Amino acid sequence: MNTATTTTANGHAPHGDGHYGGALRWLTTTNHKDIGTMYLTFALIMFFVGGAMILAVRAELFQPGLQLMQPEFFNQLIGVHALVMIFAALMPAATGFANWQIPLMIGAPDMALPRLNNWGFWLLPPAAILLTLPFPLALLGIGDGAIATGWTFYAPLSVQGGIGVDFAIFAVHILGISSILGSINIIVTIFNLRAPGMTMMKLPLFCWGWLITAFLLIATIPVLAGAVTMLLTDRHFGTHFFNAAGGGDPILFQHLFWFFGHPEVYILLLPVWGLMPHVLATFSRKSVYGYKGQVYGFVAIGLLSVVVWAHHFFTAGLPVPALLYFMYSTMSISLPLAVLFFCWIATMWRGSMSFETPMLFAVGFIVLFGIAGLTGLVLADVAADAQYHHSYFVVAHFHYALFAGGIMGVMTGVYYWLPKWTGRMYSETLGKWHFWLTVLSFNLTFMPQFFLGLAGMPRRIPDYALQFAEFNAISTVGAFILGISQLLFAWNIIQCVRGRGAPAASRAWEGATGLEWELSSPPPHHSWEVQPRVK
Amino acid sequence: MSAQPVSQLSGAELDRRRAASRKLGWALGAVVLAFYLLGFFIQR
Amino acid sequence: MKRPVSLLTALSACLPLTARADYRWSFPEPATPIARDTLAIHNEFMLIITVLFVVVFAIMIYSMARHRKSLGHEPAQFSGPRGRLQWFWVLVPFAILLFIDFVLMGIPAFHAVIEMEDTRTRADMVVKVTGYQWKWQYEYPDDGIKFMSNLATPPEQIGNAAPKGEHYLLEVDNPLVLPVGRKVRVLLTSTDVIHTWWVPQFGVKRDAIPGFIRETWVRIEQPGIYRGQCAELCGKGHGFMPVVVKAVSEPEYLAWRDAKKSELAQAASGSDRVWSKDELLAQGKEVYAQQCAVCHQPEGQGLPPAFPALAGSKVVNGPLLGMDGRPAAGSHVDRVMNGKEGTAMQAFKNTLTDVELAAVITHERNSFGNRMGDMIQPAQIKALRQEAK
Repeated sequence: MNTATTTTANGHAPHGDGHYGGALRWLTTTNHKDIGTMYLTFALIMFFVGGAMILAVRAELFQPGLQLMQPEFFNQLIGVHALVMIFAALMPAATGFANWQIPLMIGAPDMALPRLNNWGFWLLPPAAILLTLPFPLALLGIGDGAIATGWTFYAPLSVQGGIGVDFAIFAVHILGISSILGSINIIVTIFNLRAPGMTMMKLPLFCWGWLITAFLLIATIPVLAGAVTMLLTDRHFGTHFFNAAGGGDPILFQHLFWFFGHPEVYILLLPVWGLMPHVLATFSRKSVYGYKGQVYGFVAIGLLSVVVWAHHFFTAGLPVPALLYFMYSTMSISLPLAVLFFCWIATMWRGSMSFETPMLFAVGFIVLFGIAGLTGLVLADVAADAQYHHSYFVVAHFHYALFAGGIMGVMTGVYYWLPKWTGRMYSETLGKWHFWLTVLSFNLTFMPQFFLGLAGMPRRIPDYALQFAEFNAISTVGAFILGISQLLFAWNIIQCVRGRGAPAASRAWEGATGLEWELSSPPPHHSWEVQPRVK
Repeated sequence: MSAQPVSQLSGAELDRRRAASRKLGWALGAVVLAFYLLGFFIQR
Repeated sequence: MKRPVSLLTALSACLPLTARADYRWSFPEPATPIARDTLAIHNEFMLIITVLFVVVFAIMIYSMARHRKSLGHEPAQFSGPRGRLQWFWVLVPFAILLFIDFVLMGIPAFHAVIEMEDTRTRADMVVKVTGYQWKWQYEYPDDGIKFMSNLATPPEQIGNAAPKGEHYLLEVDNPLVLPVGRKVRVLLTSTDVIHTWWVPQFGVKRDAIPGFIRETWVRIEQPGIYRGQCAELCGKGHGFMPVVVKAVSEPEYLAWRDAKKSELAQAASGSDRVWSKDELLAQGKEVYAQQCAVCHQPEGQGLPPAFPALAGSKVVNGPLLGMDGRPAAGSHVDRVMNGKEGTAMQAFKNTLTDVELAAVITHERNSFGNRMGDMIQPAQIKALRQEAK
C-alpha cells in the first residue's frame, strides 16, 4: 500500500507527527492509521512469502520420491513457513486491525502510546529478515540454512541444529518484544481512551477480543522467550536445561513451548472472533446476539487456554492423571466455543441478510472453523489421539483452525473495513471470485490430509509411501489453486488503495453500526479530535 | 449505540490520560519481565 | 466427516487415476485390541461430530435461505434470550454438549486411556526400542539379542532413478520379530533426539526420548508384517526410518530367537581372530553404505557444514589412536566409537560390533582418496572397549 491510504485519497496533506514526506514519514509516523497500514502491508507481503515456501513443499510432495529438494531444505521450508505465517502474517495482520480500528471504535484520537506503536512495528522487518537470512547465507556458503526443526524448536533437535536455530531464536525474541509492546499499547488505550459513556460492557466485541488477546500475549510471550533463551544457553554456554545427561529434560522444553503455544492459537483467533459479530450483525441488519455471552466466552477461553497445553504432546508419555486432566480440560473448551457459535448463528437468525464478500467470508469461516472445532474435540481424546498425533490429521485440523479460522477471518475484516480505510469500494465481482476459489481450493488442499493422517502418514516427511500418493497429488493441486487465487485478493486491495472503485460513504454498509462508521471514509488524520458521547 | 460530538478533547485531559497509560504500560512491562525471569528458576 | 467424503469421492473420480484406487477413508485394519478400541472410538466420535455438524449448519443454512433481504425479510429486533422459554432453548444445546463431552465421549475415552497406559499387568515379554538418527535398535533384554533395523529401500528409488517397490520407504533389513498373542511391553528411549515409534495398525504411538524410558504395549492378534514410521521430526532422515514388525506364531518366534542368538554369538567371535586388510575393506564398504553414507555421502564428500566430508578429512587422515595407544580425543577411532557431542555424529560403539567398527574405520582411511594405508584389528577395538569399562 502507499501513501494514498490515509492522505491524498481524501485530499489531506501529510501533516502532524514528524512533518516528513516520503519514506521518512513512514519511518517516523506515530499515527495509528499509518502504523496500521504498515502492519497490514507487512502481513500481506509475508503471507505471500510464507505461501511461496509451502508451495515449494507441496510441489515436492506431489509425487513419491525426492524431485525438487533435499530433506534438509524441506525441513527448513516447513518450519520457516509456520513461523512466517504465525508471527509475520497472522499476528501483524491482527495488530494492523487493532491499530486501525480500536481508536475509531472507541472514539479516541489515536493510540495512547504512539511512539511505542511505531517501534512495535519497526521491530518486525528486522525480525523477518533474521528469520529468512540463513537461506541466502547458505547460498553464499555460510551456515547450513534456516531452522530445520519445524516451528516448535523441540530440543534436543534444536540443540543439534545449525546457525538457522540461532537466527530463529533472535527473530522470535524480537517478534515477541514487538507483540508485547503492541499488547501493552492496546490494553492501555482501551482502558484510558474510551469515549465518555462507553463502559466496558459497551466496548465493541472486536476490542474485547483484542483485549483478551493482549493479556494472553503478555502472559505467554515471556515464557516462550524464556524457553528459547534456555535453548540458546544450552546450545552455546554449556547449560543442560534440556539435556538428560546433565540433569535436564527434553520434555521441559515442550511444556514451556506449549504453555505459550496453545494460548497462541487463541491469540491468533480471538481478534477474528471479536470481529465476526460485527460483520454478521451488519449484513443481517440486526444487532449482535448475546453480547455478554460472547464477552464471557472470550474471557473463559482466555483462561482455559493457559491450562490445557499438554494435549500437544499426549504421546510423550505423561502420567495417567495428567493425561486425564488435560483431556477433560481440553474438551471443556468446546463449551465457551459453542457459546460463540450459538451467538453467531443467532445473530443471523431472522435477520435481513445479504451476501456481500465480507459476509461470504464470515459464513465460510463459521462452517470451516466448525470443522476445526469438531476435529479438535476428537483430538482431545487421549486414546484416539495416539493415532491422530504427529500425523496429517493434525496438519489438516490446525489448517482448518488457522487458515479457515485465522486467515479467512482476516480476509473478512479486510473486505469489511477496506472501504473505511481507503475510501473506495473494492470490486465485488473479484471479491466473490476470490471467496469461492479460496473456499473450494482450501478444502481440496486440506480435506485429503485428514484421510492421509487416518491412513498413517506422519507429518513433516519429505517423501512418502506409495499408498499416500493420490491424496497428496490432490492436495498439491488444491494448494496451487489456493495460492494463485490469493493474487485476486492482493489486486483487489491494490485497486482500492490506488483510488479506483466507487467512493465509499461514511457508513459503507447499510446495516453497519458503531462509532467507526460515523467518521468519514477514510477518516481524518486525528481520528476523533472531538470525542463522541456514547449512550 | 449512537454518537454525538460532545466536547473537544482538551490538551490537558489527553495528557492526563496519556500519563495514566504510560504508568500502566510500565507496570505491564514489569509483569512481562517478571514472568521471563521467573522462567529461569523452573526446575524439573 | 461424511459430507466431505462424498465430495472427495466425486472429485477423485474425475482425476486420472493411477494403478491404485483403494482410497483409505479411515484407520488401517486394526491388529491389536488397543487399535480395535481406538477405531471403535474414532468411528463413534466421527458419527457424533458429523451429526453435530449437520444439525448446526442445517439451522444456519435454513436461516440463510429464508431470512434474506432479497426475499424482503424484515430483521427481527432481539439481541439475547428473553423469558424462560428462550433461556430453556438456549441452554439445551449446552446440556447436550456437556453430555457429549463428558459422558458420550468422555467415558469411553477414560477406559481406553486406562487400558492403553496399563503396560505392566500380565506382560509376557519386554522389548526395548532405541531411536537413533535415523534407524531403530531393537533389544530383547531377556535373551541378550540386540540388532539395528535400517531402511532397506535403495537410494536409487528415492532419487527416482529406479522404479519404486511395493513397500517403498516402509521396508527394513531387520524387522522387529514378535510372537502373536503375547502382551509385549515396549520400552522406548533414544540416544540423540526425540523420535516417535508408530505402527498405525497397533493403535499406539509413543515418543522415544533421550535419557528417559517411556513405555507402551502391544498384543498382536494375527501373524503378518506391520509397517509404520517415525512420527516425530528428528532431522533430515526423519522420513526414512520406518518401523517394520514381523508377527509370527510362538514356535516360529522361538526358532527365530535361537537362530538370532547364535548368529550374534558368531559375529562377536569374529573379533578374536586376525582379519586381513582386504576382508576388512570389503566388510567396511558394506557397513559404510549402511551406517555412514546417509550423512557423509556415498563418496565421502559429506554435506558441509552439518555433515563434514571424509575425503581429505583431518580426523580420518589423522592418527588412529593417541600416542599411548588409547583413543585420544579427536582421533579417528575415538570419533567413530564415541561420536561428537552436540552433533549428529553418534557414538557407534553402542550400535556396531567390534568387527564392524574396525572394518568401517579401515575402509574410511583407505577410500575416497584417503591413502593412510593402515588398518585396525577387531581385537584392538574389543580391547579398547574392555579398557573403557
